Amino acid sequence: MDLIRTEGQRMTAAQPSETTVGNMVRRVLKVIREEYGRLHGRSEESDQQESLHKLLTSGGLSEDFRTPYPSLRANVIEAINEMLIELEGTTDNIAMQALEHIHSNEVIMTIGYSRTVEAFLKEAARKRKFQVIVAECAPFCQGHEMAVRLSKENIETTVMSDAAIFAVMSRVNKVIIGTKTILANGALIAVSGTHTLALAAKHHSTPLIVCAPMFKLSPQFPNEEDSFHKFVSPQEVLPFTEGEILAKINVHCPVFDYVPPELITLFISNIGGNAPSYIYRLMSELYHPDDYEL
Amino acid sequence: PDNALEAQLRDDPDVSSAVAAIRALLGFLKQDRGETIQGLRNSLRDAIDTLSRVDSSVAVSSGGELFLRFISLTSLEYSDYSKCKEIMIERGEIFLRKVSLSRNKIAKLCHPFIRDGARILTHAYSRVVLRVLEAAVESKKRFSVYVTESQPDQAGQKMAKALRKLNIPVTVILDAAVGYIMEKVDLVLVGAEGVVESGGIINKIGSNQIAVCAKAQNKPFYVVAESFKFVRLFPLNQQDVPDRFKYKADTLKTGQNLTEEHPWIDYTSPSLITLLFTDLGVLTPSAVSDELIKLYL
Repeated sequence: MDLIRTEGQRMTAAQPSETTVGNMVRRVLKVIREEYGRLHGRSEESDQQESLHKLLTSGGLSEDFRTPYPSLRANVIEAINEMLIELEGTTDNIAMQALEHIHSNEVIMTIGYSRTVEAFLKEAARKRKFQVIVAECAPFCQGHEMAVRLSKENIETTVMSDAAIFAVMSRVNKVIIGTKTILANGALIAVSGTHTLALAAKHHSTPLIVCAPMFKLSPQFPNEEDSFHKFVSPQEVLPFTEGEILAKINVHCPVFDYVPPELITLFISNIGGNAPSYIYRLMSELYHPDDYEL
Repeated sequence: PDNALEAQLRDDPDVSSAVAAIRALLGFLKQDRGETIQGLRNSLRDAIDTLSRVDSSVAVSSGGELFLRFISLTSLEYSDYSKCKEIMIERGEIFLRKVSLSRNKIAKLCHPFIRDGARILTHAYSRVVLRVLEAAVESKKRFSVYVTESQPDQAGQKMAKALRKLNIPVTVILDAAVGYIMEKVDLVLVGAEGVVESGGIINKIGSNQIAVCAKAQNKPFYVVAESFKFVRLFPLNQQDVPDRFKYKADTLKTGQNLTEEHPWIDYTSPSLITLLFTDLGVLTPSAVSDELIKLYL
């Protein structure tokens, strides 16, 4: 386990904004603990987590994983293979739930380009007729690519600028978005512009649905507002050709936005639909508390 | 047992009243001459009643309840009474040891949430909050603290004195000035005397006001509490909190007309709380009821 932990630390240090790397390392650590526990003869339930119950009844401190078991390695490899198969199927799993959430003649709004949302909408388009409004998500304008792909499937698509989000929101029935990461309190780290979209949706009481596979769930809390941010070259915002004013102003181009959990209605993941307040439970199923800090 | 409890509280002001209660009960258990589990439970219940007559706070009640639960769980595993008693005493010691470490665990979880240059608002005197701020100072963070004076016992002054010893710049404000100061603070950090099933907290009077102001100005409201403070109560409003918690034990004994008395605690609803820091981890208010169910299943 220490080996995996050190490798995990190296990988997350290389690219801190890609939280999925850390998440998968934590999942593997949990798998190892479970397999060890199974071989050790304990029951699989409840022994993993801290709880008041455990505080009262346990006789001493927790085990130390010292005992060697020959079949442990084979079991762990098998479990990891199962996890790989699950990962490959996540987008299909999410798309399968599309029909329950999208109804005919609805106006759906989304922002930027997300493969999960694209699959979700395409699956629904096979049986239902609806319209999609895509916010272009400046400055990279990935919304354009999303619109092109959706219209290839004969879905009526409209592209509009981010500034018009609030204006159009009153005509929208649902907002469906993807995200980069889901945090432990149910909040999102998503593309820049999502917070605006979420606030507009809240104001008009439009449901905000987030489609994201479970491997995006990260057991971190948003303790330092700026530690999650990734900034890229501000060339897209203000090109270097505008040389004169560049000396007098500061230009920033943040890639991600923080969306608080109160603005989100539903999370759709490969294991089904969940409310943001339930995220802590899903987290305890996927990761072990000792692994939250890699 | 009530003498033992008073002695405990006087000797070690740093320990929470719930821990002192559990220690007293453990001592009582060791001296008990009974022969049956049922007899033991009854005498323990009487002991807990006596303890609440000395100090009727929520913490003592939750500590006592937890101890009783602990006895029941242990007695289910072993049928032989004397062996059972040995195991109970052993586990009781382990429990006390774990519980004394809980404040440090919480401090470790909570201090990353305090940024450099943060302005924190806290309420009355809480040893857990003190420990958290101590940990933040140890990790070389600079911040300033506003403490409410917290009438009628001026507990805020005690807190301010302790903070000054740690070299933290602290300002004592009037309880009425909370709405005024809220725009200046970055986060609110309070302790709790009890955490109820809905995820809300019971804390010194004035906490609810602070929570409402914080919500109105979009400031995060963090609560730090050890896990033995979880109580099996579900108040729906302020009136639902039992009288025996609201008023001190002496006041209840004299049997005066309670409408003339000022309550010592109030209830803050879970919708106003952002996160709870406990030794079981960082929890959202909805996770609290889950934890309680796991215990009292």
